[in-house]
Formats: sequence, C-alpha cells, structure tokens
Amino acid sequence: MTHQDVVAQLIKLVEPYAEGRVAHITANTGLTGELALDSLKVMDLITDVEDHYEISVPLNTLADIKTVGDLASLIQKHVGNDA
Amino acid sequence: MKENPRLLAVRAVRQELATLGIDPFGIQIDEILSPTEGLIQGRRTILAGTNNYLGLTFDPDCIAAARDALESAGTGTTGSRMANGSYAAHRELELDLARFYGKRDAIVFSTGYQANLGMISALAGPGDTVMIDADSHASIYDGCNLSGANTIRFRHNDPNDLAKRMGRLGAEASHALIVVEGVYSMLGDRAPLREFVEVKKAFGATLLVDEAHSMGVLGEKGRGLCEEMGVLGDIDYVVGTFSKSLGNTGGFCVGDSDEMEVLRYASRPYVFTASLPPATIAATRTALRKLAAADDLRLRIRENAARLHAGLAALGFRLGAPANAVVAVLAGEKVEALRFWHHLLKQGVYVNVMVPPATPGNESLLRCSVSAAHTPEQVDAICAAFASWPGARV
Repeated sequence: MTHQDVVAQLIKLVEPYAEGRVAHITANTGLTGELALDSLKVMDLITDVEDHYEISVPLNTLADIKTVGDLASLIQKHVGNDA
Repeated sequence: MKENPRLLAVRAVRQELATLGIDPFGIQIDEILSPTEGLIQGRRTILAGTNNYLGLTFDPDCIAAARDALESAGTGTTGSRMANGSYAAHRELELDLARFYGKRDAIVFSTGYQANLGMISALAGPGDTVMIDADSHASIYDGCNLSGANTIRFRHNDPNDLAKRMGRLGAEASHALIVVEGVYSMLGDRAPLREFVEVKKAFGATLLVDEAHSMGVLGEKGRGLCEEMGVLGDIDYVVGTFSKSLGNTGGFCVGDSDEMEVLRYASRPYVFTASLPPATIAATRTALRKLAAADDLRLRIRENAARLHAGLAALGFRLGAPANAVVAVLAGEKVEALRFWHHLLKQGVYVNVMVPPATPGNESLLRCSVSAAHTPEQVDAICAAFASWPGARV
C-alpha cells in the first residue's frame, strides 16, 4: 500500500467532513486549517479511519498531524505494525 | 501588547458574541433567591440551567452543618492532604461514601473534574490503553491527556463498537481501562451499563463509571445508574461529584480495589491540590445522608422531568433523550440557538446553551436541568417560555 493509495482513500473518508469547503483535497490540505475541522470532527474522522483499516490510532498520537498527508503517513505506520 | 496566537480562536468567539450582544458564557446571577430562582439582569429568573438536582443548596441542615464546621474548624485547610495533613472529617466523608456505595474505600478530590483527572491519570500511564466513549466529558479527555496513555475513542453508547476496538488491542485489552458515564451531561442519555460490564468481563479489563449526573437521581438509594441497572458490584471504580445532587463542590471515587490507598498517592490532582474546606466537607456529609433517604425528592425530580419533557415534546421541540433530569432541546444552528437562549432569558428562564464542538453531532442544544425543588408551576413556566419563541422549531 503506497502513500498515494492511503492519501486517495483518506480523501474519500475526509470528504463528508469537509462539507465542500475545499474543492480539491490533496495530501497537503490542512485538516484543521483549510478543511476547518474542529477537534470533534477530527476525532470522528479518526474513528472512521480506524474502522476502515482495522487499526487503533490513539488520540495521543495525533498532536503532529496537520495535513491529510501527515495522517496518511501515520496510518501507514499503524497498518505496518498491525500487519 | 503582542496578541497570544493561542487565544485567537477564543477571542474570535468572544467577538462574535459581543457583535450579537449575547453572552451566555459570561452570565452573572446577581442574587440567588432559592435553589430554583435568581436575579439576573434585574429580572426574577427561574434557574433551569443548574445541576441542583435535589435542590439541597439551601437545605437548613446542610447550612447548619457548614456553619458549625466553619466556626469550629475555620475557613480553609490551607494546603493539600498529603503535604499539609488531612482533617478527620475528610476521612470520615470518605468512609461515608464507601459505606453508601457498599465499596471498600473512597478517595475525596477537590472537584469532580479533578476526580476524573486524578483517577484516570493514576490508573493509566504511557504504554497503557484507555478506552473512552466519544461523548465523554472534558475531564475524561483531560485525564487521558494527563495520563499519557494511548487513548482510543469508541462510538457513543455502543458496547459492540467498544468490543470491536478492544479486540484490536490483542493481549493488551486485559490491561485496558474503560471509561464511561452513567448519564451524559449534554443530552441526558443513559449508558447501556449492563452491556459495557459484559464487554469488560469478556476482556478482563477495568471499568470506571462517572456518575456525576445520575448520583442522587437514579437508583433506589440514589447510587446512580449503576444501582438502577443492578451492576454496582461489577463496576471497578465509580467517580462522582458533590457539585450536583449534593449541592456543594468536590469529587470522589469509590472502589473495591485494594489499591485505593496507594492510588491517591499516585494521583497528582490529589497530591498537589488544596483539600476541601471544613464547611464543604460538613455540608456534603449531611447532604449525603439526606440524599440516601431522599425517596421523595427522587420521585419529585422524576415527575418534574416527565412534565418538562412532555411539555416541550408537545410544543414540537426535538429532545435529546427520554425524560431525565437533563432535558436537552435540539436547537440547530449556533447563532439561532444563541438568540433562542437570549429570548428565554428575557422571559425569565435561564437554561444552558451548548454549541459545537462541545455538543454531540453538529447541533446546538438548549439544555435544561430539572430540580426536585422546581414547582409544577415553574416547570410550566419554562415550557411557556419555550412556547413563546417566535423562531422555527428546528
């Protein structure tokens, strides 16, 4: 699973939360920046991510996650660990 | 002066409220007239936005106990129990609480917020896992932060979702701490505690239940949803507060673990906080005795809750949960909810307004809390104030 694969999947998971605020979401799109997700929405997104990839993503590991690409990298790490 | 960038978001919200001329988060009650009435902006106002569930804040016996303790033991303890010593009454209150719940021991904290902070951060640390309900109170989230443990959130009130996430932990699941609330403060909905107990048992985990909004209200003796569901013996730790049904301030945890005595010394929010003053302890001990015997008050709060719930439902409002001491009206978009709240205040009714992200989902709430001390006429007046809102029922 490449970084691009995860980013593409993540964009699908993020879109319902984005509510059209960003026309073209990319790896560089900020979750709390351009997408303006509040803390609750970010946590809801993580819950969806956990279910999609069947992994655990503890909330305390999210402090440095700013963009879709950052989250994709974190997911890759967890998928690797859990595989 | 340079602006602190961390305060920009809060400053923006404050500015928005100032523009609207509505400030529910800075409301001042100029005079408290009774457990259910106060003077706000020069107007006699029904208080339906407190957590004074049993209405004990003006109880003459509690006031007398506080006055006696104030005169005999002074205004404050001036330090933490560990560094500066416990008063005998601190320990007596702990033993009262342990007896009340039928648990081995209790720890008293200086606030309910600190009880969650103190217990979660003492029970879990880096490398451990804490499983929390998605709609948990901030004190639970903050307790997890303080602990440094891996914090995993499960879908609100969903034992199957918890079990699924516990399953992903593998062998680690048996060391996990699960944290839920009995009644959730925003919507007033109850946790499926029996099912959560089953998950805890299946994985051999530890279960902590915060009964802040159910103590005194639910259960035959007021021991909360754990008692009402018949699972009190299966709950490892029950956390509660003195600041709601007991009409004071402070928090506690009761448990059967033989580690209770050690836990307090591992809890920074216990160790590094000034202990509760004598008057607070004395009034709380008296209130706890009253709470245990308050069958009449529990009946009255249920009647009041049912009356308010039915009245608001009949007016066409969407409500957050079945009748309970917390009755939440779903109020849609933030600015409209703030205007609705302001309208209620002008009608002489004070409720709480909650806006996202502090609320579940994407919706604002007008949260009413019912007291046993509300009269039926006051409950009807609350309904009438809601009925007078000229805006849409969203």
